[in-house]
Amino acid sequence: MHNTVIEIQDISLSRNDNNILDNISFKIERSKALNLYGLNGSGKTSLLNIIAGITEPTSGYINNISGDENIFHKIVYIGHKYGIKGNLTVKENLSYSLHDNNQNNDALISNALDIYKMTDLKNRLTKNLSHGQQKKVSLMKTLILDSLLWIIDEPYSALDNKSIEIFNTTVKKFLDNGGSLLMTSHSELKNSLFALDNYRIKQ
Amino acid sequence: MTRVFNIISKEFLLASRSGYEIFLPIVYLLIIMMFFNISISYVEKDIMLELLPLMTWISCLLICILNLENIFKEDYDDGTLEMFLMKKEGIELDIMIKILSHWLLSNLPIVIVAPLVAIALGLDFGTTSTLFITLLIGTPTMSLIGSIAAALTISLKKNKILVSIIVLPLYVPILIFGTSAVNNSFFKINYDTEITLMIFLFFIFLLLTPLACSKALKISLD
Repeated sequence: MHNTVIEIQDISLSRNDNNILDNISFKIERSKALNLYGLNGSGKTSLLNIIAGITEPTSGYINNISGDENIFHKIVYIGHKYGIKGNLTVKENLSYSLHDNNQNNDALISNALDIYKMTDLKNRLTKNLSHGQQKKVSLMKTLILDSLLWIIDEPYSALDNKSIEIFNTTVKKFLDNGGSLLMTSHSELKNSLFALDNYRIKQ
Repeated sequence: MTRVFNIISKEFLLASRSGYEIFLPIVYLLIIMMFFNISISYVEKDIMLELLPLMTWISCLLICILNLENIFKEDYDDGTLEMFLMKKEGIELDIMIKILSHWLLSNLPIVIVAPLVAIALGLDFGTTSTLFITLLIGTPTMSLIGSIAAALTISLKKNKILVSIIVLPLYVPILIFGTSAVNNSFFKINYDTEITLMIFLFFIFLLLTPLACSKALKISLD
C-alpha cells in the first residue's frame, strides 16, 4: 500500500486573466492531516474544489497514486455551504447522504448523532438549527460515509470548543485507521491531538 | 432503480414541506383560464372553443417557464450541488432523475389539470385528448430544454429573465407543433405529423440534455 494517497502536481487556476493558483504541488499522505492556510482570496477553497473534482484546473494534474482505484469515490467533501437541506430533519439529511452513496445503515447514523451529541435534535428540521449545529450535521457525514479522504473547508468555523474537541477526536480516529484529512484555515494551526502539517498556498 | 426512487422520494418530501409553492402552477393555470374565459365571453361560443385549446397550450408553456429556475437553484444555494458534481460517474443519470422529479412535481399537475379545465369550459373529448397527449409529450421536452438554461444561469442571482430569454426561442417549435395538433384535432384533420415531430424533439433533447446539463453545471460552478 502506497503511503501517498493523492499527488497534486503543478496545479494552476486562472479566471479572467487573474491568477488564483500558480503551480501548486504537494502530496496528501495516508494517516496525515494537512492544513492549507492563507489569507482570504488566496485560493484555498478553489484548490479544495479542484482536488474534490468540482472545478477543473487551468493546468496541472491530480494523480491517484494510492493504489486504490476507488479513492476519488471515497472523498467526503464539506465546503463553505454545508450541503444539507433545510427542509429535511437531521436524520433525514444523513439518511439521504447515505442513500446518495448507495449505502444504508441506521446504526451509523445513530452513532454519528451520539458522537456529536445531536440525538435529541435528530427529528428537527435543519433550517431550525443554529449555524454551529448545521455545521455539525454536515461534519457527521464524515462519520457515516465510507471514505479515505476528508476534504473540509474551515472545519473549525462556527463550532464551539466542545464540538471542536469532538471533531478532533473523530479526525484522530480516522487518521489512525489510515484515512487522510485536507482542510483549510486562515492561519497556521498547531494541534496536539493529531499531527497537522501546514502548507501555505500563496505568498 | 433504488437510486431513482431515493432521489425522487427526497424531491417529493422537500416539495411537500415547501408549503403552498407546490400548488402555484395549478393556481396560475386556473387564474389564466378564468381570465381568458371572462375576457372572451363576448365572442361566439364556437370561436371561443376554437381558441380554448390554443390558449391552454400557451398558458401551460408560460407556467413551465416560471418554475424552471427551481430545478437546480436550491441545490446550488445549500451546497448539495457541489457534492452532486463531485461524483466521477453517474452525474448524467442523477441529472435526469432531478429533471424527472421536477417534471412530476411542477408540470405533470398542469398536464392533468389543463384538459380537465378545458372540458369544464366546453371543449369536446377528442380535442381534449389531443391536448392531453401533446402536453404529455411537450412539457417533458420543455423541462429538458429548460434544465440546460437553468444550469447555465444557476450562479446568477436573478436568472429568471435570462432563463426565459434562452428557452423561449427553443420552445417555439414545441408550441407550433402542440397548438397545430390540437387545432387539427378540433377540425378533425390528421395531426400524426405534429405528434411525430414532437416525439422526435423529445428524444433529441433526451439525448442532449444529460451531457449539456452536466457541462453547464460544471461551468457555472467554476
